[in-house]
Order: sequence, then C-alpha cells, then structure tokens
Amino acid sequence: MKTSEFLKGLAVSVWTGTVHLFRHRMTSMYPETQNYPNTEMYAYDPKKGVAVSGWRGRHYLDMSKCTGCQLCFIACENIAEAIEMIPVPEAAHAQNKKSIYPGVDYGRCVFCGFCVDACPFYALYMTPVAEISEMNRNDLYYSPVELSVPPVPNPAPKVHVNFDKKRGSHDER
Amino acid sequence: MSANTESNPEMLAGVFQQEEAPEGRLKVSFGPQHPGSGHMRIILTVNGDIVEDAVPDVGYVHRGVEKMCEYKNYIQNIPHIERPAIHDSSGTIFPYILAVERLLDMTEKVPERAQYIRVIMAELNRMINHFYFFGILGIFMGHTTPITWGMGDRDYLIDVAASATGARVTFSYFVPGGVRTDLPYGFEDKLLKTCDYLESRIPAYKAYLEENPFARMRLTGVGVIKRSDAVALGLAGPTLRGSGVKSDVRKDEPYSLYDTLEFNIPTREEGDAMARMMVHFEEVKESLSIVRQAAKKLRPGPVKVPLRGQIRGKVGEAYARTEGARGMNSYYIISDGQIHPYRVRVNTGDSRNLAAMRPVLIGGKVADVPVAHWSLDYWPVASDR
Ligand code: SF4
Ligand code: SF4
Repeated sequence: MKTSEFLKGLAVSVWTGTVHLFRHRMTSMYPETQNYPNTEMYAYDPKKGVAVSGWRGRHYLDMSKCTGCQLCFIACENIAEAIEMIPVPEAAHAQNKKSIYPGVDYGRCVFCGFCVDACPFYALYMTPVAEISEMNRNDLYYSPVELSVPPVPNPAPKVHVNFDKKRGSHDER
Repeated sequence: MSANTESNPEMLAGVFQQEEAPEGRLKVSFGPQHPGSGHMRIILTVNGDIVEDAVPDVGYVHRGVEKMCEYKNYIQNIPHIERPAIHDSSGTIFPYILAVERLLDMTEKVPERAQYIRVIMAELNRMINHFYFFGILGIFMGHTTPITWGMGDRDYLIDVAASATGARVTFSYFVPGGVRTDLPYGFEDKLLKTCDYLESRIPAYKAYLEENPFARMRLTGVGVIKRSDAVALGLAGPTLRGSGVKSDVRKDEPYSLYDTLEFNIPTREEGDAMARMMVHFEEVKESLSIVRQAAKKLRPGPVKVPLRGQIRGKVGEAYARTEGARGMNSYYIISDGQIHPYRVRVNTGDSRNLAAMRPVLIGGKVADVPVAHWSLDYWPVASDR
C-alpha cells in the first residue's frame, strides 16, 4: 500500500467515525420507552384459513368460546409440549362439556403461534406482550384462568423509529 | 481411586488426545468456549505464530433436526427447521416449503402476492445475515465500531420483518400454500424507508471496512481460496462467489418469481477474506434493489391457499433448493403418504463451506484465524443441524 493511499484511507475512516458523533442514537431507551414493531394481536381466521398479522407474544384465551377440543394441545404436542389441557370445573361454560382448557408453560413455548392456527373456534389469540419473566420457574406456567385475563401492557410510551437522511435514525413518539 | 472415577483413555481418544504435538510445536484448542470460534473447536498445531495444522472439530450443537422431522407433521417441522439458522430463518425454511409444495402438487397454485412476499422476506433475511457478518468480521479484526453499527442497522431490518411476521428472529412465516399473514397496514412504506436508510449507510461501512487501511491489511491475502479449489471443495454462497465462480440458485434455477426481477450476481476474483466481504457488500445492494422491485410488483390478492386438516404428501419424493444467505440450502423429502415425512435430508451452504476451513487456516498466522474462519461464512449451528 502506498503512503498516500494509506493516509487517504485513514482520513476517510477517521472522518466517518467523527461524523457519527453528531448522529442520532441508534438504540431505543428500553424500558423507559418501548418499540414494538407490531402492536396488534395475532389472530387466526379459521374460515378464511389465513391469520391476521400481529405480534406473537403471550396468549389470550377466550374461555367463553373454547370448547376443549384439544386441537391446540395436539398442534403443540410435537413442537414444544408447552400446552397442557387442565380441568377447570368452576368455569361454567355450556360449550365446554368436559371443562378442560389449555394452560401454557412459557418455559417451553417457542411463540410459533401454530396453536392459534389450529384453533377452529376463535378462542386462542396471541397478544403483543412478551415481557414474561419470573424469579421462579414455576411461575412461568400460566393456567387457563390466568390466560383468560388480558395481559397488562408495559405502561412505558410506545415509540417508533424515524429515519432522518442526514442524522440517521431516532425514536419518535 | 476406584475404577469408576479413572478416566477411560479409549473414551477420551478424540482428535485432541490421539496424537501428541510434534517436537517444538504446540497444540491449541481454539474453542468451543472461545468467543470467536462459535460453537465449534478448531485444533491448531502452531509453530510459533504459524498455523501448521488445523482440524475443525464440529458437532457441539448437533440436535438431530433430520431425525426429528420424521416424527412431526409437515407444519410442526417448521419451527424446528428454522431454529438452527437464526440469522437466516426465512432462507432455511424456504426450500423445505418449496419441497413440501411439490409433494402436495401445489407449486403452481401459490398466489403471486405470496411469492413476492416470500422474496421480500428472504432478501430481508439475507441482509440481516450480512449486517451481522460485517459486525462480527469487524470485531474479529479487533475493530469495535462495525459490531455496534452492524447490530444497530440489522435491527431496523428485523423491525420491518417483525411487523409482518410477529416475531423478531424465528419468523415461522412461510407455510405450504403461501405465507401465514398478509402484510400489515403501512408495511411497504416502512420497508421502502428502511431501504433508503440502509442505502445511505453503505458508504460508512465502506469507509470502515474497505478503505480503512488497517482493515485492508487484516483482510487482504488472508484465507485465499483459488477458483479451482473452490469448485473442487464444493463451496457455496458468497464464499464461492468470492473466488470468482458465478453461481447463484436464484439465477441458475429461478424459483418463486425470482426470474421476473432484475439483479446481478456479484463476484470477485481474489478469493481472499477481502473479496468475500466485498461480495457481501454487493449482495446487500442487490438485495435492496430486489426488495424494491418486489415491493412494486405487490398486487392485492390472496396470500395463501388454505389447507384444511392434516397435510399428507403424496407417495414419492421431492427436492428443492434455494439460495440462502450463506449458500445453497437444499431439502430432499421422501414421503410415504403419512402425515409426517418418511425422511428429510437437509443440506445447508454452511456445512459445505466447512470443507475450506482446513486448507484456509494452514499456513496462516494465529491472529488471522478468527478473520479467516468468519469470512468463510460458516455458521456451526446451521451446519451441525
Ligand atoms: S406458540 Fe407454539 S410453542 Fe407456544 S404454545 Fe403455541 S404451539 Fe406451543
Ligand atoms: S383453545 Fe381452541 S383449539 Fe384449544 S381447546 Fe379451546 S377451542 Fe380447542
């Protein structure tokens, strides 16, 4: 490499790095703000056979629609074995004769969403809440009753990325 | 000491234990805990600073995907197959889906919109992989800035892909018959904005990785693979194209409407780490142009042929191959009419690039091992499967 070439390359790269000092920060300030690419619920329409795009996070179970048909359990059986059918005798819903509902173990679930695709009765959804962490492993297990409560979203303001031609990207509320 | 606790020399006789290092040489185990080796080990025999022998010891992350596929039905296989190649989950699942569609005789029935969405996702994944490549290549040279940039810019692509698929890394988005969901409202706008932004980022990467004299010194002439050697070793993907072989499944055997899009196959003659990195650069540019063209061609319409009940392939076999981010991925499926495949054979570009590891490392310096190793585009997890 010639000396002139060396110096030119050095100048170009040092200059590029220096310019970056004045650009916007790339990172989001999580958890003060949060950036979910998609804030809809992931749902499946068994009539059309196509899902509605949404974030695949924690499940939501509509107990008034679930018939206990176990199709979600069968779908998950060979994927992660995360779903277990639990008898919930106190839930009196006529359409569920056996009173069994799916419970999900989030220590195993891989959030693939194929259980939602398997449900023929519009009973299972996935919500845009994925912040599931517990101090105790057993708490990762969600019973049907817990799943039927809509999750509390993180109260931090939602932001999205805005691109600026000159100064890079930044979060915008 | 009881017999139980005594080590059994026969059991321990791996490659490392078999032979002592020759006189004056040192045997060094590079990995599997070394942050630069990935999930593999390279047993180096060094003479001072020169590597005299390098034996890749792979298999640490073997998980038996091929065998697992025989017990799961065609849909349940999807999340498992794409797990090993997290940076290229669309590229890994693509040939599997094409092969299953061939078994179901529905290749022609897949809607046009779904095919273009697949192209967009596959190209987004290619860029996600390539930005990761730049980042890790930078950190292996001891250059910290590229990894922060690479990871940061990669995240915008992930954002776009995640807004449609609902997951950040393992999308599980392609299914036999199309894609799972239609694109959300405002997707194209977001996609084109991200493409424009990334286009404007390329000069910065060029300055840091190509024009920067120190990066050039570290990359030029490292890990040279001659054109004839690359063909003889059966390499794939950017590694093969970095040695001057113009080979790309997207052009050679177009699938999923790639033949309606215009793009070039970048190649380089030098065959060293620099050439391979430049091929990645050019591929990012080509991918940006492919994504833009495909986004223009999107027309409203169905995105999936609904498949009711359990999928059963016809008795027979199917083979499909696509160009993944790290080389040609191919799937060969035998079906005996059951709800699960009889046999699935997976071949990824990564495992073929492993063949070049030994010839490339021998004769080089110890300090060049991480760079040469990473520039080969070998990802242990996808290779071991
Ligand atoms: S999302 Fe996937 S892994 Fe989780 S419960 Fe549903 S089918 Fe099982
Ligand atoms: S959630 Fe749906 S698939 Fe699962 S048992 Fe209830 S109705 Fe059946």
